[in-house]
Amino acid sequence: MENKKAKKRSMTVEVCQRLARNKMAMLGLAILVVLVLCAVFADVIADYETKVVAQNIANRLKGPSAEHWFGTDEFGRDIFARIIHGSRVSLVVGLISVSVSLILGGILGAFAGFYSGRVDNVIMRVMDIFLAVPSTLLAMTIVAALGSSLVNVMLAIGVSGIPTYARIVRAAVMSVKDQEFVEASRAIGATNVTTIFREIIPNCLAPIIVQATLSVAGAILSTASLSFIGLGVQPPDPEWGAMLSGGRNFLRDAVHLTLFPGLAIVITILALNLLGDGLRDALDPRLKQ
Amino acid sequence: MRKVLCTILAGVMTASLLAGCGGGSSDSGNGGNSSAAAGGSAGGSQEINIGINTDLTSLDPHNHNDTASAYATRHIYSNLVRLTEDNEFVGDLADSWEYIDDVTVEFTLKEGVKFHDGSTLTAEDVKFSLESQKESPKVGHLVSMIDSVEVKDDTHFVIHMNEPSNALVSSLNHSGCAIFSKAHVEKLLAEGKKIEDEPMGTGPYKFEGWTPGASFTLVKNPDYFNPERAAQNDKLTFKVISEDSARTIALENGELDLLISVPTTDAGKIRDNNKLALDEYTSTHVEYFTVNETKAPFDNVKVRQALSHAINKADIVVASVNNEGKTFDNYIGAAAIGYYDVVTKYDYDVEKAKALLAEAGYGDGFSFTCYVAGSTRATTATVIQANLAELGITMNIEQMEASTFYEKTGNGEHDACLAGWVANAEPDNTYRPLFTSANSGAGGNRSFYKNPEIDKLVDDAAVNRDKAAVQNDYETILKTLSDEAVWVPLYTPTGLIARNAELKGMTPSPIQMHDFYALHY
Amino acid sequence: MHKYVIKRLIMLIPVVIGVSFLVFFIMSLAPGDTARTILGEDAPIEAIEALNEELGLNDPVLIRYGRYMVGLAHGDLGTSYKSGRSVFTEVMSRFPDTLKLAFWGMVFAVVLSIPIGIISATKQYSLIDSVSMVFALLGVATPNFWLGLMLIIGFSLHLRWFPSGGSEGWKALVLPVITLGTGCMANITRTTRSSMLEVIRQDYIRTAKAKGVGYRSVIYKHALKNALIPVVTVIGLQFGSLLGGAVLTEAVFSWPGVGTYLVNSIKAKDTPAVLGCVIIFSICFSIVNLCVDILYAYIDPRIKSKYK
Repeated sequence: MENKKAKKRSMTVEVCQRLARNKMAMLGLAILVVLVLCAVFADVIADYETKVVAQNIANRLKGPSAEHWFGTDEFGRDIFARIIHGSRVSLVVGLISVSVSLILGGILGAFAGFYSGRVDNVIMRVMDIFLAVPSTLLAMTIVAALGSSLVNVMLAIGVSGIPTYARIVRAAVMSVKDQEFVEASRAIGATNVTTIFREIIPNCLAPIIVQATLSVAGAILSTASLSFIGLGVQPPDPEWGAMLSGGRNFLRDAVHLTLFPGLAIVITILALNLLGDGLRDALDPRLKQ
Repeated sequence: MRKVLCTILAGVMTASLLAGCGGGSSDSGNGGNSSAAAGGSAGGSQEINIGINTDLTSLDPHNHNDTASAYATRHIYSNLVRLTEDNEFVGDLADSWEYIDDVTVEFTLKEGVKFHDGSTLTAEDVKFSLESQKESPKVGHLVSMIDSVEVKDDTHFVIHMNEPSNALVSSLNHSGCAIFSKAHVEKLLAEGKKIEDEPMGTGPYKFEGWTPGASFTLVKNPDYFNPERAAQNDKLTFKVISEDSARTIALENGELDLLISVPTTDAGKIRDNNKLALDEYTSTHVEYFTVNETKAPFDNVKVRQALSHAINKADIVVASVNNEGKTFDNYIGAAAIGYYDVVTKYDYDVEKAKALLAEAGYGDGFSFTCYVAGSTRATTATVIQANLAELGITMNIEQMEASTFYEKTGNGEHDACLAGWVANAEPDNTYRPLFTSANSGAGGNRSFYKNPEIDKLVDDAAVNRDKAAVQNDYETILKTLSDEAVWVPLYTPTGLIARNAELKGMTPSPIQMHDFYALHY
Repeated sequence: MHKYVIKRLIMLIPVVIGVSFLVFFIMSLAPGDTARTILGEDAPIEAIEALNEELGLNDPVLIRYGRYMVGLAHGDLGTSYKSGRSVFTEVMSRFPDTLKLAFWGMVFAVVLSIPIGIISATKQYSLIDSVSMVFALLGVATPNFWLGLMLIIGFSLHLRWFPSGGSEGWKALVLPVITLGTGCMANITRTTRSSMLEVIRQDYIRTAKAKGVGYRSVIYKHALKNALIPVVTVIGLQFGSLLGGAVLTEAVFSWPGVGTYLVNSIKAKDTPAVLGCVIIFSICFSIVNLCVDILYAYIDPRIKSKYK
């Protein structure tokens, strides 16, 4: 227990080393790095005004070509450029909305699971109220109420995800809190809050990470679902989900309208999951070698 | 113990599931084996499956004002008058009518018209139906001009109006003015039921069943009073399929014989399919862009004219309805009563638009927000957004739910909005809400265009019994509106109905009140 | 235990009150002209005002909520603004179809995903593991409505095996069930796998192995039981999202369930209809959650001891 800081640093190094040995996780990380670079340098890769929003109706619904790698959409806009710029929107929506639900839900769940009794009851009953409204519909109602915009979509998806984390964290906390290392921590006089944040949360990180990686994906999909029913990002902003929904009427004739944004979503989610899995393995204190 | 509990839980789940299955299948048990007719086989029992995109809301004609519900109620009930394909009103239950003076009309009913229960229609039924309709919040306004109905004898009655109105006869054609059986309705109400629980009228079909969200079924009335308009098929099943591509596929599969509201993306595929046919008709539907004329710079007519020149309508037709429509310059649909081709037209001309904008003092552009509801209009808005960007005008799009849209534009919160209008058989029902001062905002005039001259002309056209004068009123209105560039009329979508190529007897209605009695193989 | 169940059932009352307040509050934030939405574009302003008055929409939010709660206390879910019919009748006529879809969707997901999850975990880093995890990932990564449309094109349009929509007969059930089940299949597979991996590494499993207990027996008797806790949580949670998430599936397949009704009601600002659906959903879902918690107790004796 002495020399805690040094131990922590060495743990971080160890985690990174373990992560680096996992080829699939590194592949996921590489894809994510490329995506982040795309998002950062989107304006360099394709100009927003001339490529992303400028229309050319005469050239609509054209298949992939040398000029338009991924073809053109129903307005004759370049799909490749829109996907590149769309990476900004999707990554931001995914990360922010999941952070909202993770932070708020995680804290609530940890307290509920740790204290049990009345605290648990109050928190979980409030969560039950939120949970009782299916998250898609809660998000829909919130966006319908606040109006369609990127910020409201993130807020709605974030809020509707809170109870999921609260429950998962609570279940995880309940299953670890009686284990020896927690009791040991209490025995040496750690406060409850310290115990929750120092011992319990790190020890139930695995299910949270698994859920969080899926949730970023889920947030991107929820955005698409909201777009599907007309409650998404406002045009002409390029958002993958909106592109997917916008192209759905052309599914039979011009499949590239939905194929490429769909692939962008799938690849992003795959990458997030590979990395998440790798992190889970790397973070697991019981996993040696 | 553990196993017992698991078994109980499993049992509860299974029981609720079985209950679900039972409920579902008993509701739909009658309509299961009907798609066989789609192969085009003639003779035998003919069941026609019709695909629609929204469910009905009510089977009570006084309790709805929407197309899907009217598909059912217009076939179950009859009205006093009906509209022919040539836009003329002829008697349906009424044999004839005659204006005694400006506010008094005497009607004669056809003899021996029978309700589905075998009882005979009398003038008392008409009096009962129209007077109870006045109480309806949904369709009462249609007969607001009726003061009272005076029964002379079984087949004669007089309608007394509280003010002169040209809209009486056209209103009587509306699905809301259906004629009930007084005895039947009174019996239902006495039993604590509602009209929609047992819809029963004099129409060519009897009501058979409704599975909310899925389908509704009508069966032939063999004793229908008018042999010329009697059902030529045995059963109509309306299937609600909300997803566009699924609707077309259901037609291609033979699950449907007829498809209303054809997705424009699939029109070409249907034309190319030799087993299917696509009927096109001119509708009274107009899509338009309008600004809020109480807000600067839209109070300046030059700015509005500049917008009219700046918007590329041809591109909108391509992007929004996949070229299944025509660019449009008028303020009322070409197939509507009250349409006159007299408007000032503004061609797509960016240079002219720039010049007008400079004249108005907005050469550097400005920015505003356009409210839209629905994905098609969002597409339209996206094209307009790009068009206006060429003039240095920044148009932000705010897409919202229809109810929110109505509220916000009704309050005049918008700078601009996109909307559409389907004219019905009465021109006053188009001109009054859209262009009069009294209806600014929530009444339907989302341009907030106020012109006392127009108000006067609309009032005159509503009561003047001289047809030439009415035409003159409407022509003046249209000229004024277009000179003032109140709207930018965008396009009129082509009416599309797709069907099995073998299916005969479809005559589309420009106001989308289609009749299905003549459908047969 | 019985006491606990009864206590939880009584706890449903505040949940219902909370849900109705939450939804009423959110719905009242949304601006919307309900009467105009019901009456349509061409209704005159007088009719709109008259209907708003008749529906009591001109009253302040709190008065409307109070009125609603008085009705609810008498077991009355109110009347739909749009159709004028009892909300309870409206919802109940559609509820069996949604339940049927959600149940079979869940069966489809569970039957496939738990075995896949176990196999992946026991053969970690093998080809089977990679293939099934990629499969699981693709399932979660594919937008529901897109998969539904693809299935319609493949199996309805081209192969003509199943109808493109409707709810008549078992054939109509197949495509919606696959569409709905695939999304949560991925979640359950992943949770099963990670939870199994966790458990397999625990000391007592190693002890069991060391003691010479057969591999299969270790996996299925000892590990699986302990790994099931998070899986059961996920299934419970998924069932709720299945009920609600059926919305898009219902839309794509024209399935006449509560989801479609609810979406239309939200769009039309038909507050009583929205509240009615949500309250019935919430009761149903709370009962599922209760079942999950009871199952916990039987799977994990440590938790069970707390309920005594």
